[in-house]
Amino acid sequence: MLEIRSARKVFYKGQPDEKVALDGLSLSLATGEFGIVIGSNGAGKSSMLNAISGALILDSGQILINGADVTGMPVHKRAAKLARVFQDPMRGTAASMTVAENMLLADLRSSKRTLRQGLNATRLASYRERLAILGLGLENRLDTRVDLLSGGQRQSLSLIMAVGGSPDLLLLDEHTAALDPRTAEIVMQATVRAVDALKLTTLMVTHNMQHAVDYGSRVIMLDAGRVRLEVAGEEKARVTVVDLIGHFSVKTDRMLLAS
Amino acid sequence: MGFIEGVLTSFVAIIPVTLAQSLILAFVVLGIMIPFRMLNFPDLTSEGAFPLGGCVCGVLLAAGASPVIGIVAALVAGFAAGCCTAFIHLRFRIHTLLAGILMMTMLYSINLRIMGKSNLSVFGSPTVFDWVPFARPGFPASKIVVAGLLALVAFVLLYMFFRTEKGTAVRAVGANPDMAEAQGINVWAATIGGVGLASAFSASSGALMVQSQGFADVNMGLGILINGLAALMIGEAVVGKQTVWRQLLAPFAGAVIYYQLVSFCLAAGMPPPDLKLATGLFVLAMLALPSLKRSRGPAPAREAIRE
Repeated sequence: MLEIRSARKVFYKGQPDEKVALDGLSLSLATGEFGIVIGSNGAGKSSMLNAISGALILDSGQILINGADVTGMPVHKRAAKLARVFQDPMRGTAASMTVAENMLLADLRSSKRTLRQGLNATRLASYRERLAILGLGLENRLDTRVDLLSGGQRQSLSLIMAVGGSPDLLLLDEHTAALDPRTAEIVMQATVRAVDALKLTTLMVTHNMQHAVDYGSRVIMLDAGRVRLEVAGEEKARVTVVDLIGHFSVKTDRMLLAS
Repeated sequence: MGFIEGVLTSFVAIIPVTLAQSLILAFVVLGIMIPFRMLNFPDLTSEGAFPLGGCVCGVLLAAGASPVIGIVAALVAGFAAGCCTAFIHLRFRIHTLLAGILMMTMLYSINLRIMGKSNLSVFGSPTVFDWVPFARPGFPASKIVVAGLLALVAFVLLYMFFRTEKGTAVRAVGANPDMAEAQGINVWAATIGGVGLASAFSASSGALMVQSQGFADVNMGLGILINGLAALMIGEAVVGKQTVWRQLLAPFAGAVIYYQLVSFCLAAGMPPPDLKLATGLFVLAMLALPSLKRSRGPAPAREAIRE
């Protein structure tokens, strides 16, 4: 479970272009819950995700994962508890390394790396099996350098890497936004299957209102660095795209197009 | 015909000497390759770490220490120097190249302090090259055997290391530091350790060189970096860099080929003062080649180098 307690972060403090990114944001996500985060640009979605992953250190407030306070923990230590898929397929994988090596890196995310040989037959077999689920043929390209894969394949690989080892918390940062509609659908379906099968506690940021309506058990709308609206349970099941857009303070063409 | 024969005769005559020298200097090339290719951390520390190793070893030999102790001490000193460079880069967000320049400049003074003078003769002190059976001490054959064996050991150990879980993690830091961090890898530890290891190799090369030539000099590192880079470029052109195996072999193959080429040019009558200009132009050509090839296509993306 994830708990954010009155998180506050101000950029350029004391300067004319001071910007409050997180303004006392509080949020709690129960174990196994699939939260969808929406909000216009600059609402604080990325700042919140960065704060959870450790890339952004809070000015004040607390972040707890499964009850453990991780507020001051560096990124690489938090990685034992959480996994993240970035919007940019390039960021989540090591381009000059092979598919199998990338899988190995993710495999060791929460364990101590030893001086034993990294890739062995057992591991390769399990990677082949896990990649076969996608149906993209990646299981036959374990020795291919990742920079030779398409954006969709890379993003699918990132997803498989992230859900491996059942992290306590899965962060999805607009992870289908950079893909073409068909590939985005494949990646989204794979995401939903994995989240359901492994009962992962998940937080997904998206600009796609249809996704917000179709998936997840709770919709969280951010505005100006705080939670503006939460829709869960029965209400979540009945909510429509038009309802959600109605709550935006700033309406953009992008949202209408996405719906 | 007489000219060509003369050139070939004098070239062939010094092949063993050049081979011995190139096997010793292959460790500097290795010390340049590891940060540059494995960690994406272009590093200039070797220009200071090479004489640092030489000075440390020279002082210890002059004091009567065993040649092995000299090399081990050089390794440790080089490791510390490399760690400092990496730390300067990470902590103060200074560009890797500037961090390396700072370090090598400071090392010059440190090297002078260590030796107390700019030049120290250790001629006649025991060296690791004396221990080869059936070879006359000081003869190139013994140097080739010792340096070659050390190179082989370094190659095998590094190859094994980069295939381990830890080694894969170090390579990930070079490939994509953000991703590596998100996968739980301590980027600081990997970078500091990796650059330290590389400088340790450069310093051990300096120590071997001092034992080979019989003296230590604070200026012995002058130009070593550009020579090493040229050797690395040749090695990568010949054996490639697509796999870990090839990438690790490239410094050794490159060093051997490069120094034979240099010796051939000198035998063919190239004036020694022109050597650095020629080497520099060669490295420039090798680095420029990919962008020249691309020039007909769309504008090339800028190479992402850590800042």
